[in-house]
Amino acid sequence: MYMLLVKQFIRSKAVVLAFILIVVMGIISILIGRQFLSRQENTIRQVTTHQREHIERNVAAHDEMGLLLYYLRFSLISKPDKLAALSIGQRDVNPGIQSVTIRTLEGQKYDTDLNNPSNLQSGNLDLGFIILYLFPLLIIAFTFNLLSEEKEAGTWRLIAVQARSAKVYLLQKVSVRAVALYSWLVILLLIAILVLSLPVNEALWAFIVASILYLAFWFAFCFWIITFRRSSSFNVLTLLSAWVVFTILLPASVNNIVANLYPVPESLATMVKQRDGYHEKWDMDKGITMEKFYAHYPQYKSYGIPEQTFNWLWYYAMQQMGDDESVQYSNAMREKILQRERVSRSIAMAMPTMHTQLFFNDVARTSLTDYVQLLDSTHVFHERLRLHFYPKIFDNAAVKDENWKSFIPEYISDRKDMNWSAMLLPLIVAVVLLSILSVANMRQIKSV
Amino acid sequence: MTNKRISFLIARQFCRSAFRSNALYAILLVMAVMIGFAAYSGWKIYTTQNAIRQHYQHEVRASWENNPDKHPHRMAHFGSFAFRAKHPLSMFDFGLESFVGNAVYLEAHRQNTVNFSEAGFSTGLLRFGEISLAVLLQVVLPLIIFFLGFASVSEEREGGTLKILLTQNVSWRDILVGKSLGIFLLAMCIAIPAVAVTLFLILGTAQNVLITDTLLRFAGIAGVYLIFIAVLCVITVLISAASASSKSALMKLLAIWLFMIVLLPRTTQALGSYFYPSPSKIEFDTAVELDVLKEGDSHNPDDPHYKTLRDSVLRVYRVDSVQQLPFNYSGFVMREGERISAEIFRRHLDKLIATYKKQNRINELTAWINPYAAVRNISMALSATDFESYVVFQQEAERYRYQLAQTMNELQMKFISNQKQGPDDKPYTISHEHWKALPDFKPQQATIGTALRHEAGSVLALVMWSILSVLFLIRLSKKAKAV
Repeated sequence: MYMLLVKQFIRSKAVVLAFILIVVMGIISILIGRQFLSRQENTIRQVTTHQREHIERNVAAHDEMGLLLYYLRFSLISKPDKLAALSIGQRDVNPGIQSVTIRTLEGQKYDTDLNNPSNLQSGNLDLGFIILYLFPLLIIAFTFNLLSEEKEAGTWRLIAVQARSAKVYLLQKVSVRAVALYSWLVILLLIAILVLSLPVNEALWAFIVASILYLAFWFAFCFWIITFRRSSSFNVLTLLSAWVVFTILLPASVNNIVANLYPVPESLATMVKQRDGYHEKWDMDKGITMEKFYAHYPQYKSYGIPEQTFNWLWYYAMQQMGDDESVQYSNAMREKILQRERVSRSIAMAMPTMHTQLFFNDVARTSLTDYVQLLDSTHVFHERLRLHFYPKIFDNAAVKDENWKSFIPEYISDRKDMNWSAMLLPLIVAVVLLSILSVANMRQIKSV
Repeated sequence: MTNKRISFLIARQFCRSAFRSNALYAILLVMAVMIGFAAYSGWKIYTTQNAIRQHYQHEVRASWENNPDKHPHRMAHFGSFAFRAKHPLSMFDFGLESFVGNAVYLEAHRQNTVNFSEAGFSTGLLRFGEISLAVLLQVVLPLIIFFLGFASVSEEREGGTLKILLTQNVSWRDILVGKSLGIFLLAMCIAIPAVAVTLFLILGTAQNVLITDTLLRFAGIAGVYLIFIAVLCVITVLISAASASSKSALMKLLAIWLFMIVLLPRTTQALGSYFYPSPSKIEFDTAVELDVLKEGDSHNPDDPHYKTLRDSVLRVYRVDSVQQLPFNYSGFVMREGERISAEIFRRHLDKLIATYKKQNRINELTAWINPYAAVRNISMALSATDFESYVVFQQEAERYRYQLAQTMNELQMKFISNQKQGPDDKPYTISHEHWKALPDFKPQQATIGTALRHEAGSVLALVMWSILSVLFLIRLSKKAKAV
């Protein structure tokens, strides 16, 4: 009996078409992910060479420490996780590399990467998209008429008479489709692991488990709808509408709401204030700037207040004021961004599509939080450079005494531990809930 | 010949029976809520963002003008900012609005990136899309049209009423036209409120200077969506008539919707960027830097380019040192340096934009096989939220930056002494009266004509789609079968 169901399923032309569609789209998405990774890795290599050449060239051209540090850029790299190829997330719009001088940081750290806005708008075609959007469509296509087609063809009565239990028969039919779709998922994941040479680690397992649970959610949802025993047309319309609501309308509405509730005018304030904080000091008495500078860094107090018209100590103190006087706006902006993230995440708990998307970005380290982490690390990195170079500039130390070769790009440290339960629980709850509802509906299924 | 009266009767009958089902009321209710929500979001984002940006645009102008006497080159470094103003029609179609930067720092020697896009602050949910009036009309309404019309003809065939109609001297053409018209009228119950609310919003918020152009753009948008909806209604009826059963018609229409709206646009755009890779910011900056160094380093006194320049200037003015020149020489050198670096940057930026356009090309071409793509492109162009509008902003900001830097260099040439200063001298300054002479940043919106010229291909494709749907309707009315 089970073999017959399998045969019946495989023989359908639609199944073959769906298989080809998902494999072709899946492979395209994996190739796109591979290109994304290789371009990021390529850029990192270029940055490393470029920084070496850039430092060599400038060290040769300038013999004054203050002037040299005006030009020198140092890079901090957040290396993309290989999983980023499966879920590109925010990694395309927010850069993974920061190249900064020791001047005002607030004027440098928000520079975006170069992007084609049309690409950003249409969204990345990564494996995450295939799993989030296409697999549910196939689940809908394969399950919507499981019960109704038998009724519409008049075979249901036969089954009711011949099969041991109509319910078992129905579950068997679903399981054939589930086995098929899960094996297609496994095929795509295997291709991804091979093509991208993904390391098999905790993050990859998290990605796989989330994918499995996400598909389970859709199976449970479709099964619940078909247990209402309505017509095929009703089922397909309901399920497709649900798909539109879950994958387009609801997440998009939440996005509208978040964007409207939390606009970020602080970003523009930071941008203007960091300029004014620095530039206005040119027209002020040096004492004012130096006093503020020494209040921030008492350890340099002994350098006093310079008397020449121009002096590097004063210059970098002015640059420092760009950061110091915009700090409240920049903190407010950071807080606003994190608030957006918190609100989105809480709402997403109730919506498996959104939750899974954010989950994928988390394990691939391509989320907004990861970008905020890079910004925070940039701040620490920049401060370390400043504290290293400030005394050398103020003492006008000889450029040749510095070991410039040691200034190679730095990498930010690795991931935090994953919180499995917070990640998986919302999906598990959704699956269990829908299963209970389906079982309740199934009780009422009689043979006719 | 089409019998108009009979077609109208069929349309009326179709609408009447649709209004008898509860599903239609549910759809209309949901859509009314969605239209209200989309309109509110659009209005809110437009007014909030424009208020914020105008506030800062005025603030930075005031702080520019209020600078005290200083050296013009300090002013060139002080610089200014350009904030991207939103077009009133962005309330209707968000287009690329959330994916492009909103503010850029304009200073001498350096072309900064346009930063702080909504996408940069987004949590990844933005990739699911946004709810705008345009999205409702482009994405959701087609689905509703298909839902309302999939059974329009096939049901009559299944119920046997089709044969009766045909025997009563009603032609196939009357039936197809009548049913299309019926669906169209139902679709209008959703489209007209969406368009009307747009008109209401733009009349309520638009500035007077732009109102004629904005209204023309609005009329264009209304027309385009009208045609799009009509084409979809005809396609729906044709597929219903040509399918063996209502169920198979529904399956076909849903497959078309998925292909047309979900799969094709994303895939073609992704393939575009796959085949035409564009450089990252670091690659781009490095390439620009190398080209500028090749031309000459204005800060290096021994640079061959600037040495030759100095020698030729000295020759022309018949003097033997730059101090004897009638203008400030370092201002002159900086003007030359700015000209060269801006030109190199522009060349690289043009190349980058050309690459982006190549990436977008595949998607644009699909307008010929996908009416949705055509409407999407035209709608964004008319709402001034398309790629072209962004490029125009970027170019205007850069032009203003260049003007600012060169005005300051010229002030330096004219008013700053050529004599070198000692380390303890008070720096040269000029009067703050000069700052006001630099005009404010006033971006010009492209007119509807320019917008449409860029989308000529999509407009033609839409025309083709309307002609094709009429031709198919005529063809099918000759070949269709009653059973």
